Amino acid sequence: MAFTHDNVMAVGDDAQSVYAFRGATFRNIMDFPKLFPGTQLFKLEENYRSTQPILTLANEVISLAAEKYPKKLFTRKQHGPTPVLAKGVDENAQSRFVAQRIMELREEGVPLSEIAVLFRSSFHSFDLEIELARRNVPFVKRGGFKFIETAHVKDMIAHLRVIQNPRDAVSWNRLLTLVEGVGPKKSQNLIGAIFREGSNGLDVLKAAATGTGVSAQGLKELACVLEDVGGGDTMTPAEQVTTVYGYYLPILRRQYDDHPKRVKDLEHLATIAERYGRLESFLADLTLEPPNESVVDVEAPDRDEERLILSTIHSAKGLEWHSVFIIWTLDGKFPSLYSFTAEEDLEEERRLFYVAITRAKENLYLTYPVNVYDRASGMILSKPTRFLDEVRYDCLDTWALTEQDGLRD
Amino acid sequence: MKSYILKRDPGDPVPPKFSLDYDAELNPGQLAAACALEGPVLVIAGAGSGKTRTLVYRVARLIESGIPPESILLLTFTRKAAQEMIQRVGLLIGGRSESVTGGTFHSVANMLLRRYGRAIGLEPGFTILDRGDSEDVINLLRTQHGLHDKARHFPRKNTLNEIFSKAANKLLPVEDVVLQEFPQFEEEIEDLQQLQRAFDAYKRQRLLVDYDDLLSRLRELLASDEHVRRRISNWFAGWRLRMTM
Repeated sequence: MAFTHDNVMAVGDDAQSVYAFRGATFRNIMDFPKLFPGTQLFKLEENYRSTQPILTLANEVISLAAEKYPKKLFTRKQHGPTPVLAKGVDENAQSRFVAQRIMELREEGVPLSEIAVLFRSSFHSFDLEIELARRNVPFVKRGGFKFIETAHVKDMIAHLRVIQNPRDAVSWNRLLTLVEGVGPKKSQNLIGAIFREGSNGLDVLKAAATGTGVSAQGLKELACVLEDVGGGDTMTPAEQVTTVYGYYLPILRRQYDDHPKRVKDLEHLATIAERYGRLESFLADLTLEPPNESVVDVEAPDRDEERLILSTIHSAKGLEWHSVFIIWTLDGKFPSLYSFTAEEDLEEERRLFYVAITRAKENLYLTYPVNVYDRASGMILSKPTRFLDEVRYDCLDTWALTEQDGLRD
Repeated sequence: MKSYILKRDPGDPVPPKFSLDYDAELNPGQLAAACALEGPVLVIAGAGSGKTRTLVYRVARLIESGIPPESILLLTFTRKAAQEMIQRVGLLIGGRSESVTGGTFHSVANMLLRRYGRAIGLEPGFTILDRGDSEDVINLLRTQHGLHDKARHFPRKNTLNEIFSKAANKLLPVEDVVLQEFPQFEEEIEDLQQLQRAFDAYKRQRLLVDYDDLLSRLRELLASDEHVRRRISNWFAGWRLRMTM
C-alpha cells in the first residue's frame, strides 16, 4: 500500500510479541528492515511506569532472548523495593501468601484496584480464588472463566451435589441431560419420580435403565457411579471426585471439542479436593456466594467499588498496577512443559514473562509452589522458572514461606 | 539604524511554524521518532515508554509540517485506540486532525474493498459476516454435506470456524492447522478440506465476506491489480503511519 513512496512507520515491541496462538508473528517486526530497505530504527527505552529494580529484572530476563532488538529500559525512578521470589510448600501456601500480602498492602493504603495477580493460564488461579473468597477479598477476573463457572466443572460438581442433596433438581437436570438419549422431557419425568419417591434416586434410575431405549445403558452407568460415590462415608472427597471423573470423561469427550484443555481443570478439581475431609465442606467452599462486601464497606466507605484484579498475562498486556503478583512461576508451569521441546514456543513464553514483569510500578512478587505432581507427564515440579536461572542474584529477594505453628528450624 | 524588510516571494513555500514545543514535550528517542519525516521508520517501543504519546506528537508534527491530514493513515488494533489518538492530536493542534483516516486493520480493509473491490470481482454491496453468522453458514453446509451425524466426532460449528479462521490468518492449509492444534480430528481432514471449499464458494456466490476475508481479499486485491495498488499508495502518499500495539 505504500510502494510508490515507502513512507511507512511501524511502532511496536518485539519483546512483547505474545499472540502467536492467534496467528500473530514475531517475524513481522523482526523482518521489517528487510522488507523496507533503508529503514530508520529508533528505540524508546525510557520507562515512565516502573522503578529501576523492576526494570533491571526485566532487562535481565529479556537479555537472554535468542532474537531481539537489544534494549535496556531505564527510569528516573531509581529507588524501590527489590522484586521478591517466594517459595511455598504447596499451592495453598502460595495462595495464602498472596492473600495475606494483599491484605497487608491494603492496610498500607494501596487500593485493591491497584493490585493485580497475574498467571499464565486461567486455571492457575482457581485455588487462589477460593482462598480470596474465604477471606472476603473482592476480586474480578479478566481473561478466561471463573473456575466454578466453567461448564465441565459444573457438570462434575452436579454429580457430587445430588449425593449431598438428592433434592437438588438443578443438578439432577444437568447430569441427566448429559446421558445419551435423555432430553429435557425425560429428565423432568425422572426428576419428578425421584421427588415422589423421596429417595436418593438410585431406584428410579435403575428402573429406567431396564428399558430398551437409547438411554438405558447410560442410565445404568450413572446409577452405578452414584451408588459407588454415595456409599456411606467410606470415600474421601478426592476419591469421590476421581470416581466421578472416570465416569464423566467419555461424556466430556463427546460434549466438548476442546476436551484436552478441559481435562486439566478437572485434574485440578481433584487436587483441590485432596485438602478436604468431608464432601460437604468441599462443596461449600467451591460454591461460596459472591464475597460479602460489607467488610470492605465498613473499612473504606468511599471505596466500595474496589476490586482486586486477577488476570491472565495476555489480558494484562498494556495495563499497569502499583503491586503485581505473578503466581505459578514454576518451571514446567511457566514455561509450560509443552513448550520445552520447541525453541520458538519457549521464546514466546519468555516474552510473556517479560510482559508480566513490566506491568508492575512499585512492588513485584513472583511466587511458586514446590513438590507439584504433574499428572500429564508424571513429573514432580519444584524449580522456579528457568527464565530466572541466569539473572543476577541481586535482582531478586528470595523468601521461603513457613507456617506460624508448623515445624521450623 | 534603519531596518529594511526583505519581502517573501509569494511563490515560496511557507516554512513550517510549529505551535508545539516538541523538544520540551518529548524525550530524545520520542522526538527523533516523531520528527523522522521521510522513508520507512521502525520504532521499538519498550514497555511503558510512551508509544501512544509519541504517535500523537508524530501525527501533529506531520500535519504541522504541511502534510495533508487526509493522506495520513493511522492503523491500530482497536477502533478506540485510533479514535483516542486522533482526538488527542485534535486537542494539541485543533480540528485539522479529524481528516486523518484512522481505524482498525479490518475497518480500513472494508473501506478499501468497497471502493476498489470490483477489480477482483467483489461488488461493493457485500455483506460482512460476524462470527456467529459464519458459524451458522458452516453449520448449514455441514448438514448439507451429511457431516452432522451425531455418532461421529466431527467438530462443532464453533470449532470448524476456528479451524478455518486459523488457516486463513496464518496462510496455512487446513491440514496443517488440524495436525498442529486439533490432532483429535486428524481422521476428518478430507471432509474438513471439502467443507472449507464449500464455505468459500458459498460466501463468494452470495457476496458474503467474513472478518478473515476482509484481510485476505485486500491482500488479493493489492497483489493482483497494479493500477489499484498505485492509486491506494498515492492516496496515502503524504505519509503513511501505521501502529501496532
